[in-house]
Amino acid sequence: MKPDSLNLHALQDKSAEALAEVFGAKQPKSLLDKFSSLGLPSKKSEAYRYFDPEALLDKTYKRLAYVPREIREGEKLEIVNGVVITAPKNLRVYYGADSQVDSEHYDPLYFLGHILSPSVIIIEIDGDREIELLHRYTQSDTLIHYRIVIKNQSNRHATIYESFESEGAQGSLVLYGYDITVAQDSTLRIIKNQTINDDAYAMIASHHVQVEKQASIILKTFDFGNTSAIQLLKVDLGEHAHIDVGHLLYLSGKAKRGSISQIIHKGEHSSSVQEAKNILEGGSRGIFDALIRVEQTAKYTKTQQNSKSILLNEGTYMVAKPQLEIYIDELEASHGATTGQLDKKQLFYLQSRGISQQEAKKMLIIAFAKTLIERVKDTRHQEMIQESFERAFYGKRIDG
Amino acid sequence: MTLEIKDLHAKIGDKEILKGLNLILEEGKVHAIMGPNGAGKSTLSKAIVGHYDVEVTQGDILYKNKSIIDMEAEERALEGIFLSFQHPVEIPGVNNAYFLRTALNAKRKHEGKEELNAAEFLRAMKGHLEALGMKSDMISRSLNEGFSGGEKKRNEILQMLILEPKVIILDEIDSGLDIDALRAVSEGINKMKDGKRSFLVITHYSRILDYIEPDYIHVLKEGKVVKTAGIELVEHLEEHGYDTIVEDAGL
Ligand SMILES: Nc1ncnc2c1ncn2[C@@H]1O[C@H](COP(=O)(O)OP(=O)(O)OP(=O)(O)O)[C@@H](O)[C@H]1O
Ligand SMILES: [Mg+2]
Repeated sequence: MKPDSLNLHALQDKSAEALAEVFGAKQPKSLLDKFSSLGLPSKKSEAYRYFDPEALLDKTYKRLAYVPREIREGEKLEIVNGVVITAPKNLRVYYGADSQVDSEHYDPLYFLGHILSPSVIIIEIDGDREIELLHRYTQSDTLIHYRIVIKNQSNRHATIYESFESEGAQGSLVLYGYDITVAQDSTLRIIKNQTINDDAYAMIASHHVQVEKQASIILKTFDFGNTSAIQLLKVDLGEHAHIDVGHLLYLSGKAKRGSISQIIHKGEHSSSVQEAKNILEGGSRGIFDALIRVEQTAKYTKTQQNSKSILLNEGTYMVAKPQLEIYIDELEASHGATTGQLDKKQLFYLQSRGISQQEAKKMLIIAFAKTLIERVKDTRHQEMIQESFERAFYGKRIDG
Repeated sequence: MTLEIKDLHAKIGDKEILKGLNLILEEGKVHAIMGPNGAGKSTLSKAIVGHYDVEVTQGDILYKNKSIIDMEAEERALEGIFLSFQHPVEIPGVNNAYFLRTALNAKRKHEGKEELNAAEFLRAMKGHLEALGMKSDMISRSLNEGFSGGEKKRNEILQMLILEPKVIILDEIDSGLDIDALRAVSEGINKMKDGKRSFLVITHYSRILDYIEPDYIHVLKEGKVVKTAGIELVEHLEEHGYDTIVEDAGL
């Protein structure tokens, strides 16, 4: 292997020892073991069974030399090709050794991400604050990889608005993810707004979230576009911990996109709400593969899981797999998935008032999506998401 | 005449509901249709507006002397045909005011007029809302969502007032209305009478007819118009029911 390129496919079926040769002996053996035992994802992998990652992995990517730069002060926290360029005043952002790995993660690429990025971006959020985090990609045919560790303070409430831009990043694969610890009695919100069109880049994002006692995390993802990407999430909930996950998916073209998640209730009185709304057009495939596991230790758990999909034409396919795995006797749970078309009666009502079929469809689709968008409290960001949605929906090419 | 229905046969699914129905709506006149449950009254109104449930298998519907049966529902609406539904559908997430403005602007655009912005639209609405006794929050809510039966009907009339259609079909607009609402709705309808528009009022009760004074009463039975007469027919029907009505010769 040349040091400036990497074919992930070459990592298939390699032993930990062989991986150590590829990545250098300094790598923690535990990571190499984990990656080796889970194996490079393929269609046959449990986690990736609906995504078909082979096309993304069987390719030789350029690699970048990750040289941390001096971080300038800026309005946003901006990460370009995996390197922090600017950070807002008073936000602690630095590089550090990778000390926060969830050894029980189900995603092999979570471990590969850690192997590739031994130095991670650490964000320490103090106080109640809102952070704009912009990811930007400008390299083509490149494996762009970085890991981010987020820590907040107990009793504090912070929000991260995550957005994405790209220019000339065609053919690149972005492998990134968070390791988040939500401190006791705190709230962390992450609102992700990501449109990827016309193969601007592909993305596999792999996260782990540890929610401490009486803490809450709110994760809202707004995923739009005609290009493939996947988000893998594992969440561990402590006592009285809460998670609220929302996914809005609008796909067109040949996009394969969505989320794979495992939410694990470990503490008593923990609760989870997970809601997905999926709108599929063209020949796209949406994925909502969501497992909620309630462990023996998690008595008095409440969980709610729901997926609703609208297929706008034949040739689209929604994989909606909400799953519950329960190891306690009693549980408050609700759980369901529906897939359908736009409501004919509603469509007709609008058309009978002179509204064109196309416009009527738009109104109904926007209405369907809106309930999730409206739950973004901040008006400016709500409008930005609404705009992204409409731009994606109205079929105009946008980048980022 | 405004609308002419000739020997109309129509199916819903495999079942023929309209079986050779003839009816002429005259310009500026109010036609009432009465008839037993299941006779095909709503089916007729759906056939006129091009509802997907109804398949016309024979006959024709002419509007201003042109066949409309191959026209899309939205085209028919833009040409001035309006149906107030017996059961208006709820559309969560679609704001009522936005819907009303979109419909009005679609029509204005069709007529080559300038579209109204939100403020202009709200100004134009105000009088209608007051006349119909509708609270202004009704138009800031989702379309028909959680509206009571009467509120839904008022919202239908509101659409009629805004869109100013030429052929107005009201399918049981009076059912479920309280006394005040019935009066407000009837006044709304009467306001639209200008000698040019035609009305087709489907009802089971004489009460609304007292307000809107129809020119003709038609009886629809088993998929056909079997009798046409003046207002005096209503009294007969109320007394003797539909069983005594036999098909008029020549219809
Ligand atoms: N979607 C449908 N599927 C099957 N049958 C239908 C459907 N819609 C209407 N019908 C049938 O068509 C017939 C006529 O119905 P329609 O609604 O036109 O009657 P109506 O005269 O309006 O009755 P009402 O006074 O009760 O409103 C009825 O027998 C009804 O059951
Ligand atoms: Mg009816």
